[in-house]
Amino acid sequence: MRPHGEPERGAAGLAASSADARQQSAAYERRRSEEGRLRRTSGWEEGAEPPVEGVELLADVGVSASGPRDGGEPRRRTPITAASPARQASDTRSADPVRRLLERHRALCERAVDPLEIAAGLEALGLTDRTAARFRHRDVFSLAEELFARAAHPDEPPAAAPGTRVPRVRALAEAAVPLLPALFCLLTVAALLLTADARRLPGPHPAGAVIAGAGAVAVLVALRIALRRVAPSKGALLACGWLLTYALFGDQALEEVLGGGPDLPPGPLAAPDPSVPLGLALAVAPAVWCARWFARAARRRLADSRNLGELASRVRPLVLLVVAVFAGSLFVVEAVTVLSLLPLPGYAHPPGEWAQAAAAALAVLLFLVLLLAVRGLHSAAVAGLGAAAAVELLCLGAVLAARVPSLAPVGRPVEVAVAAVGPPVVPLLACGGAALVLLVHAARALARASAHRCGAAP
Amino acid sequence: MPVRVALLTEGGYPYVQGEVAGWCDRLLRGLHSHEFEVYALSRSRRQEQAGRVPLPGNVVGVREAGLWDASGRGTEAAAMPYGRRVRRWFRAEFGALADAVCRPVVELREGAGQSGRAAPVEDRFSRALHGLAALAAEHGGLSAALRSEDALHALESACRRAGAPRVVQSAQVPDLLAVAARLERALRPLSLDWYGACGTAGLAAADLVHAVGAGPAVLPGLLAKRNLGTPLLLTEYGVRLREHFLHGAGDPGVLAVAGARAPVRAVLAAFQQLLVREAYRTADLITPGNAHTRRWQERCGAPAERLRTVHPGMDASPYAELGEAADVRPGQAVLTWVGRLAPAKDVVTLLHALVRVRERVPGARLRIVADHGSDAGYAAHCRAVAAGLFPDEAPGASGEGRNPVSFEGALPGPGCRAARLASRADAFAGEGPVVLSSVVEGFPVPLVEAMFCARATVATDVGAVCEVVGGTGLVVPPRNPAALADACASLLLDPQRRARLGAAARARALELFTVEQNVEAFRGIYLELISRRSGGPPRARAARPFAVTAETHLCAYGEEGQGNAPPQVPTWARGGRAASPVPVGTVRAARRGGGRG
Repeated sequence: MRPHGEPERGAAGLAASSADARQQSAAYERRRSEEGRLRRTSGWEEGAEPPVEGVELLADVGVSASGPRDGGEPRRRTPITAASPARQASDTRSADPVRRLLERHRALCERAVDPLEIAAGLEALGLTDRTAARFRHRDVFSLAEELFARAAHPDEPPAAAPGTRVPRVRALAEAAVPLLPALFCLLTVAALLLTADARRLPGPHPAGAVIAGAGAVAVLVALRIALRRVAPSKGALLACGWLLTYALFGDQALEEVLGGGPDLPPGPLAAPDPSVPLGLALAVAPAVWCARWFARAARRRLADSRNLGELASRVRPLVLLVVAVFAGSLFVVEAVTVLSLLPLPGYAHPPGEWAQAAAAALAVLLFLVLLLAVRGLHSAAVAGLGAAAAVELLCLGAVLAARVPSLAPVGRPVEVAVAAVGPPVVPLLACGGAALVLLVHAARALARASAHRCGAAP
Repeated sequence: MPVRVALLTEGGYPYVQGEVAGWCDRLLRGLHSHEFEVYALSRSRRQEQAGRVPLPGNVVGVREAGLWDASGRGTEAAAMPYGRRVRRWFRAEFGALADAVCRPVVELREGAGQSGRAAPVEDRFSRALHGLAALAAEHGGLSAALRSEDALHALESACRRAGAPRVVQSAQVPDLLAVAARLERALRPLSLDWYGACGTAGLAAADLVHAVGAGPAVLPGLLAKRNLGTPLLLTEYGVRLREHFLHGAGDPGVLAVAGARAPVRAVLAAFQQLLVREAYRTADLITPGNAHTRRWQERCGAPAERLRTVHPGMDASPYAELGEAADVRPGQAVLTWVGRLAPAKDVVTLLHALVRVRERVPGARLRIVADHGSDAGYAAHCRAVAAGLFPDEAPGASGEGRNPVSFEGALPGPGCRAARLASRADAFAGEGPVVLSSVVEGFPVPLVEAMFCARATVATDVGAVCEVVGGTGLVVPPRNPAALADACASLLLDPQRRARLGAAARARALELFTVEQNVEAFRGIYLELISRRSGGPPRARAARPFAVTAETHLCAYGEEGQGNAPPQVPTWARGGRAASPVPVGTVRAARRGGGRG
C-alpha cells in the first residue's frame, strides 16, 4: 500500500514506461505541480524544509543517532523558529500539526490495525524521528500511537463473495464438458447395438469386445476430464470400480449363483442392459452441475455469514436441497436414456423399475461421494463406498456360502429378497442404505466452514 | 572440537532467492572451524525450485520444510485427527493461543518497557505455544487439527469474547478461515521432526541455535531453548514485524495476507507481535544489524541488555585499490549515485537537487550507476525527467553535446545503451561526492562501498544511514532537494573537505563494516553463549559463570561413549556454594534420550 507521495509517483511513472519520454516528462511535471498545490492546500508546502533547516540538520548529524531516541524529553530545538514565512503562515493556521499529518495519511491511519503499522508506514514514506520531533513527539512510534488513537477506524464492508468472471464461451464449454461421458457412452452403445446382428453369425467376433473396450476407455477419459478437480483416494477408486462393475454385471451374476452356477468353464459374458451404463454416464452431467451450484451457493453463504452457527444452519438445508434436486434430475436422465435408446434397432426393452431404482441409488451415492471428496473429506467418502461394496460382496458370498449344508440359513435372506423383488434388490439396498447414511453425514460435514475453505467445485 | 550450530532460516539462506543469503554464506565460510546444520523453511515453491547456493564444507546437513501449500493441497478440510482426550487438550491449548491473539494491542504495551517481565497475555501465548508443541510432539497431526472445525470454533469464540478489540469482533466466517489457514502455516515448524525424535539427532545435538529473523523460523529455536536448554541467538537484519506491516499488501510472506480484511490483519499482526515478543524475551542474545532495527526491537520488548548490534560485513578487498589511491584521482568532480533504481530510492529528488547544484556550481555533472534488478519503468522515468530538466551541453559551437546526467551500469529495458561496468568498484571510480537520496533504506550497501572507496558521501537520513556514515559524511532530510543540493554543492566546491571526509569514511568503514569484524563478532558471541551454558538443564546450571568452561563442554564430544572422563572444573569453582556441575557426558546422553521432554 503506497497511497502517498513519491512511491506513488514512481508507480505512476512505471505505468507510463512505454510512452514517449518527453511526453512523460511533461506529464510528470504537471503531476508534480499538482501535488505541490495539493500539499499547499492541505498545509504542506513542497519546500517544507527550506535551506536554512537543511544546514541546521547538517550540523547535528552527530546528535541524530542518539538525540531524540534515548533522550527522555521531547526535542525543543525544532526548526520551526528558523522557518521561512510560508512555514510560519502554515503554522499559525493550525495549532495542531498532527491533525494535518493525519489528514495527509488518512488512508494509512484508518487502515492500520496497530500503531506499529502506522510507524512502519510513516518510516517507509520518509518520516524520521527528526520529523516526529517537529510534531512534539519523541520518536516515530509515539507519533504513530497518537495518529492511531486519533484516526477513525471505520468498519470495513463485508468481503464480497469472490466471484471470478469467466468468458462466456469458456463457461459454456465448462458446462458442456460433463456431457462428454454420456456422449461417448451413447456412441459405444449404439455401435454395439448396430453391430449386434453381424456378431450373431457363427465364429469368433472380437469386434464387440474391441468396441466395448474402446468405449469404456473413452468414457473413463471423459469422466476424468469432467471431474479433473477431484482427487480421489485409491480406496475410493477401488470401491467405485467394484460398484460400477456390479451395476453392470452383478444382477446376472447373482441370478447365476442363485441358480446353482456358475458353470465351469463360464460361458460368454452376457451384455448388460445398455440403459444402466448410459444412465449413469448421463447422470454425470447433473451431478457436476448440482455440485457447482452447491459450491457457489455455499460460498455466497460463507461470505455473508457472521458466525459458524449461522453458516451451518444456512448450509444444512442446502445440502438436502441439492441432493433432492439431483435425485429429481435422475427422472429426467431416465427418460432421456430410454428415449435415446428406443430408436436403436437392437434395443429390446426398457429396464425394470427395480433395476432403475438401484441405478438411481448408486447415482445418488456417487453424487454424495463427489460432494465430499471435492472438499477433501475422503475418509467419509471411502467409508460410504466401501460399505456399499462390502454389502454387495457379502450378499454374493452369503449365497455361495449357503451351499455348504450347515450354512444354508446364511443365504436365506438374500434368496427371499431376490424372490420377492428380483436381483436389483441387493444393489438397491446396499447403495440406498449407504447413501442415506452418507447424506446424514454430509448434512453435518458440509455445513462446516472448514469444508468450504476454497469453495471447491468439480 | 567444533561447536555445532543450528542455523534456522525462513525464506533465507540455502536458497538462491533467499533474504540475507549472502550474509549467511559469508558467516558460514568465515567460521569454518564450526560445524553448521542449516534448518531452512522455504516460503514458496518458486523459492525452492530456484535452487540452493553451493554450501561450504562445514555445513554438515540441511533440513528443509515448506511453509507453503502446493496448489489444491492444504486448502482442503481436514478431519480432526485426535481422539476425545487429545481433542480436548488441543481445544484448550489452541483456545488459549487464540484468546491471546485476539486481545487488544494495549495489553501488550502494559508489559513493554519493563524488560524481562512479561505481560499476562504474553505468558498465556507462550504457554499455549509450548502446549501445542508438546501436543504435536506426542500425537502429531497438528496441521490437520489447525485446519479442522475445532480450530475455527476456538478462533470464533476468542474473537467474540468481551474485551476483544472491535475490529476483531467484526470478524466473519471467511476471516476466521483465512486466519486459521495462516496460523496453520506459521505453526508448522512445531510439528516438524527436527527436535531429535525418531533416532535423528536434529536440534538436540546442537550446542547453539542461531535463528535468522523472528518469524516462524524462531519457533524451533524457542522449543530447543525451552526443552533442551540450547542457547538461542537471534539475528535480525530487517525487523520481521516491520516487514509484516509493510509487505502486508505485496510480498507473499508466511503471515501477511494480500488484500485481507481488517480483522484478519489485526489478528495476524497480533500473532506476529506476540511471537516476536516471545522470541525477544527468550533469546539469550539478539543481534540487530543496525540501530534502526535495534530501536524496533526495543520497541517490541527486547531487553536492552541482551541486544548487541552487529553490523553486516562487506568484502572490502574489491575496493582496496581504489580506496588506497584516493589522493591521486584525476578529473573533474562529479556527483555519483549508485544503487538499484526503484521508486524508494527517490532519484527524482536528486535530479531536482542537481538543478540547484548547477546554479551554484555551473557544469556540475551526475553519474547514475544502476545495479542489477533495477525497476525498468522507474529507470525510464528518471531518464525522461533528466532529459526534460537538462538540455544536452556542448563545450563549444563545434563540439558534440552531452547530457550532464549520465546513466551507466545494468540499466534494464530495451534501447538502453548505457555503458556496462567492468567491475563493481568502477562505479565508485572518479572524483566527487557519492550521493544517496533514498526515502526508504535498510542497511545502505552503496554508501558503505563508497566509504570503502574513500569517497565523501551525501545521504538522506533514513534507515541506518546515520549510524553508517557517522561523522564522515553529510546527512540531509529525505525528500528535500534544497538541502541535498546545498550539501552536494558545498562538497563539490571544497576538494579538501571532500578528501578529509573520504579518508575518514574509509577508516570508519574498514573498522566497522568488513566481513572480518562481522565474523569475529559472531565467533565471540557463539563462544560466549556456549560458555554461559552449563550443559545441563537450567536447574543444574553452575552458580558461577565459567564454572563449567566452554572447552569442557566441547570435549564431551570426543569422550562420549568411551567412558566419561570427570569434567574439568577449575579449582576456584570447586567447593563453596557453587553447585557441582553435572557430568557433561551424562547430561548430553540424558538430553538425547529424553528427546523433547
